[in-house]
Amino acid sequence: MDFNLKFAGLPILAWIPLLPLIGATINLTLGRKLSRRTVQTVAIASVVAACGLSLYLVFGPLLAQYREHNPIGTGLEQNIYTWIEVGQFKIPLALRLDTLSAVMILIITFVGSLIHIYSTGYMAHEPRYAAYFGYLNLFTGAMLILVLAANMPVMFIGWEGVGLCSFLLIGFWYEKDEYAAAGRKAFVVNRIGDFAFLLGMFLLFWATKDVSSETLVSAATNVVWPKDFDPANKSAAIEAFRNVFADRGSLDFANLNNPGFGEIYGSKFWGERLAAAGGILLFIGACGKSAQLPLYVWLPDAMAGPTPVSALIHAATMVTAGVYMVCRMSFLYSASTTAMIVVATVGLLTALAAAFMAFAQTDLKKVLAYSTVSQLGFMFVAAGTGNWVAAIFHLGTHACFKACLFLGAGSVMHGMEHGGSHTPGDITKMGGLRKHMKVTHATFLISCLAIAGFPLFSGFFSKDEILAGAFNVHPPGWPVWYGKILWGGLIIAALGTAFYMWRLYFLVFAGDERTEEAKHAHESPPSMTGPLAILAVFAALIGFIGMPHFSWVPSWGHALEHWISRSVVPNFYDPATGNPEIMGHASESTTWILLVIASGIGIIGIGIAYALYGKGPSKTVDNLVEGPLAPAYEASKHKLWVDEIYDATIIKPFRWLARGLFEIVDRFIIDTVAISGVAFVVSLGSRISRWFQNGQVQRYLTGLVVGAALVFVVTDCNTKQSFEFERKGDQLELRATMGAGIAGKASKLTWDITGDGIADADPVTGKPLEGATIKVNAADVTSSSVTLIIEDAVTRKTIRVSREVAGPGDEVAEPGEGK
Amino acid sequence: MSAILFNITYAHFLVLAAVLFLIGVLGVLVRRNALIILMSVELMLNAANMTILTFARMWGDLSGHTFALIVIAVAAAEAAVGLGIVVAVFRGRRNVDVDRLTTLRH
Amino acid sequence: MMRWVFILVTAFCLWGAAGFIGSAADAQPAAGGRPATKVEIKDSARSAPYGHGDKLENKPSSKSPGMALLFWSFAAATIGGALFVVTRRNLIAAVMGMVGCFLGISAVYMMLYAHFLSVVQMLVYAGAIMVLFVFVIMILNRPEDEPVAPSGRAGQAIGGIAISYLVFRLIMLLINVKPPTPGALEAPAQVQLPNIGAQVGERVDWGSVKAVGMDLFGPGLFPFEAISILLLVAVVGAIAIARPLKDDNEQGGAA
Repeated sequence: MDFNLKFAGLPILAWIPLLPLIGATINLTLGRKLSRRTVQTVAIASVVAACGLSLYLVFGPLLAQYREHNPIGTGLEQNIYTWIEVGQFKIPLALRLDTLSAVMILIITFVGSLIHIYSTGYMAHEPRYAAYFGYLNLFTGAMLILVLAANMPVMFIGWEGVGLCSFLLIGFWYEKDEYAAAGRKAFVVNRIGDFAFLLGMFLLFWATKDVSSETLVSAATNVVWPKDFDPANKSAAIEAFRNVFADRGSLDFANLNNPGFGEIYGSKFWGERLAAAGGILLFIGACGKSAQLPLYVWLPDAMAGPTPVSALIHAATMVTAGVYMVCRMSFLYSASTTAMIVVATVGLLTALAAAFMAFAQTDLKKVLAYSTVSQLGFMFVAAGTGNWVAAIFHLGTHACFKACLFLGAGSVMHGMEHGGSHTPGDITKMGGLRKHMKVTHATFLISCLAIAGFPLFSGFFSKDEILAGAFNVHPPGWPVWYGKILWGGLIIAALGTAFYMWRLYFLVFAGDERTEEAKHAHESPPSMTGPLAILAVFAALIGFIGMPHFSWVPSWGHALEHWISRSVVPNFYDPATGNPEIMGHASESTTWILLVIASGIGIIGIGIAYALYGKGPSKTVDNLVEGPLAPAYEASKHKLWVDEIYDATIIKPFRWLARGLFEIVDRFIIDTVAISGVAFVVSLGSRISRWFQNGQVQRYLTGLVVGAALVFVVTDCNTKQSFEFERKGDQLELRATMGAGIAGKASKLTWDITGDGIADADPVTGKPLEGATIKVNAADVTSSSVTLIIEDAVTRKTIRVSREVAGPGDEVAEPGEGK
Repeated sequence: MSAILFNITYAHFLVLAAVLFLIGVLGVLVRRNALIILMSVELMLNAANMTILTFARMWGDLSGHTFALIVIAVAAAEAAVGLGIVVAVFRGRRNVDVDRLTTLRH
Repeated sequence: MMRWVFILVTAFCLWGAAGFIGSAADAQPAAGGRPATKVEIKDSARSAPYGHGDKLENKPSSKSPGMALLFWSFAAATIGGALFVVTRRNLIAAVMGMVGCFLGISAVYMMLYAHFLSVVQMLVYAGAIMVLFVFVIMILNRPEDEPVAPSGRAGQAIGGIAISYLVFRLIMLLINVKPPTPGALEAPAQVQLPNIGAQVGERVDWGSVKAVGMDLFGPGLFPFEAISILLLVAVVGAIAIARPLKDDNEQGGAA
């Protein structure tokens, strides 16, 4: 599975992200010196070249491999070089083109090039033209690295790269404080997700590092070969697999999706399965990147960036990275029901909440932003139900129609800029634009039909797949009715989607112009309307590769499903192999009924919107808003106050903590105590030493005398009192050695020879045993250790010195031993 | 206690000498007048003399007396020179306060 | 001033009494009965101890209250004089205190059987050095000095504390000094000196002029000569230092 394709020394796959990166480098470093034409040519050419290369690779070698039906897997994996190798931790900088990443790179490069072309028109008056295109290229390169990554660390490189570019591009017009703040918000919220992603990555590494490669190779190659597979190819395929396998590092996706890890994923980890922990952690990272509850708050604010940026990053590509990641790790997620339930539930809640918030928004781009969040929720529900194909399908169709919608919004705002100063996206000031902006109107209409799920448009098919999958899902451990709940919730969300999107359409394009600017709106230049048209065509027609499972559907109707199934865990498990069934095939009648309900819901939503907004804002709406729906309207308008809640519960405490740390740790501890303290101590020391040397001899003599006194003090402190003993016949002689201290002179020395802790008397004479030297009969020493009790009259302390008195004794005393 | 009071041992002389010496040290450290300081130095020398004579008596060694005699002679010489210095200092400054003799300080 | 006279006279009388009693202690009931102890003086400090064999008769016991009374009174004079020196404002008072101290010291030397040095102490110290001091005090004509200066109290306090501790410590240490042989402060035996200018076998009193002279001009000849040069240098130096400068019209040289 390794095609040794190289170009200019680098593996061919490396050129796909490299081309836009080269464009970014040129534009970012030299851009200011180049002319606008050069800049845009470089930028567009690099992305278009990447697109062309992707098309060639996908429809060339990859398709050929696909047709071979190699059950071990389909894909090109190429190693650029070994980035890190430390012990068991090996990360080669490897890229992988399989059917899943093929879909992604086609979307990214194709939609990306269209948006690059669009930007030349939209950003025509932008002073920082080259920087913009540089960032856009940088983003494209990073996103391509993300989807082409063969292992998690390389994916993380792309992950972080797109986060960075999102920040750069959202805050592109950083002269306005709120735009810069929006960029920061995006980055910080993303970072929170990234932290969870890293934890998940570490967990997976820790869990999987010890599995031997042989286990993995044998697990991966023990597959059911198709009947017509040539046996010679079989062994060659296994060999190729094994050879490539040896190069793969830790956390390689092909490894992580290997059945050989099944036991590890199922092992216990803090009460749950390991796969649950890893899956949930990674999913939190996906929440940050793909704007799910609770980390979606950056996406509406991200509309501060230029509209093409919103179209590219926040509709088509970056936010889909999370969905892509979950599908990549399909084996991990399908190994844990808990993780799947979490994913699906969060997706559903996000879909509903975001749809609700979109009802009352008056900014064109904000409605689209919430719509994106809601649609991503749909995708995650699909992923959570094990319907990876539907998730990717919806990802693709969403990319087309949402990009079209955003670019259309940009076109509208561009056309409305005759007035100048006010917020260009305010829909209350639009209306009747269908007369002035024909192409934009047509493409916007098509995309709205698609997103609402109007039959035969792309959104209809993809949404229906998701709904059908949710209805039919029954993974082991799920309650049977849960899928129905998912389905019901999604239906409501779909109704909401249709409603708010068509509200938007009617308010912008239908009715009469409400302001002067609307009257003077003009159509955008062809550089902008061209991509709109192309995207609209795709939005209309792309759905036909993922048609529902009816018997009369031709095989190309299921092309996407077959294509993607090669790279993910299959939706429909074969009971014969013992894999539990996640999703059952529903009967045709059920499928028809679901189809009808889904399309009906879409049409009903359109109808409601028409009734309320058909000719522009109506009295009905105002009555409803001020009357019975007032609280709901307020909640929706204020986005359920989520931002305010975050501010109060998280941001304010954080600010306090930061301020507290600043004041206490930085100001007080470091500045005052440590730095000023050190200075103070030094100056104190110098003051003290200055005292000693003031030129007066008497002061020096004082020091001398004090030193002499200190010598005595130190000697006293280091005195060790002890005693020596000596056996003379049957007599034991004990001599106290008091050392040089004061204590010896005025102390009372008594002896305890019986081990009871109190001073004893000589059994022979009856007198208490006192003094520095005593003699006792050895037989009278009843305990094995003798204690010398020193009562110091000077310091009023009692010191006890104990020694074992077994054995002959210490050295014999010298004659004439004095003090 | 009575032993200490009535039984005069060599220790008594040594303690007397030690106390005398330390009073001399105190005088050198505390007083400002140069003459008093010189007198305190004489006190210290005398204390040392007493000590050496005590030990000479203890050990029966007459060279201690010779030593003490030399010490007296040296003390005399030193007193003479010291007083000469005091006079010279006084001539310039009209006072002999050692606290003011700090020109070597900076 | 009268009290100074009184103190001096008392001290002198006590001194005399001490000498008398001390010599009385030496007196033997019978003439010509000085014990003959053969002891040789060596140059090193650790000479051989006295012989144990011969016992003196009628030795005065060192436990006698007379000895104690004398010692304590002279010790009081010494210490009192020393404290005078250190605490008096008036320089002449300090000098007088010094003289009293020397009297006490001299008496104590007498108790240590250092007769010669006792007299030398009075002659040289009280008689010459103190006179020198008085001369200079008169020249200075400013006999006032504050005993404890207002500045530098901290240093003085620290010095005082250190000194008190040292006093305490030294006392604790010195209390235990014991002579190598039992029996303290007995009357010394006579000693036999090396054969330098003395008759062979001549015995002289310990601590007397002759004994010290024998030691000084015998083994201690070099220090003696050196000391004479030192004194010469000191005299010349004192003159050189104290001489008035060329443009001074005062009479030259003090002392």
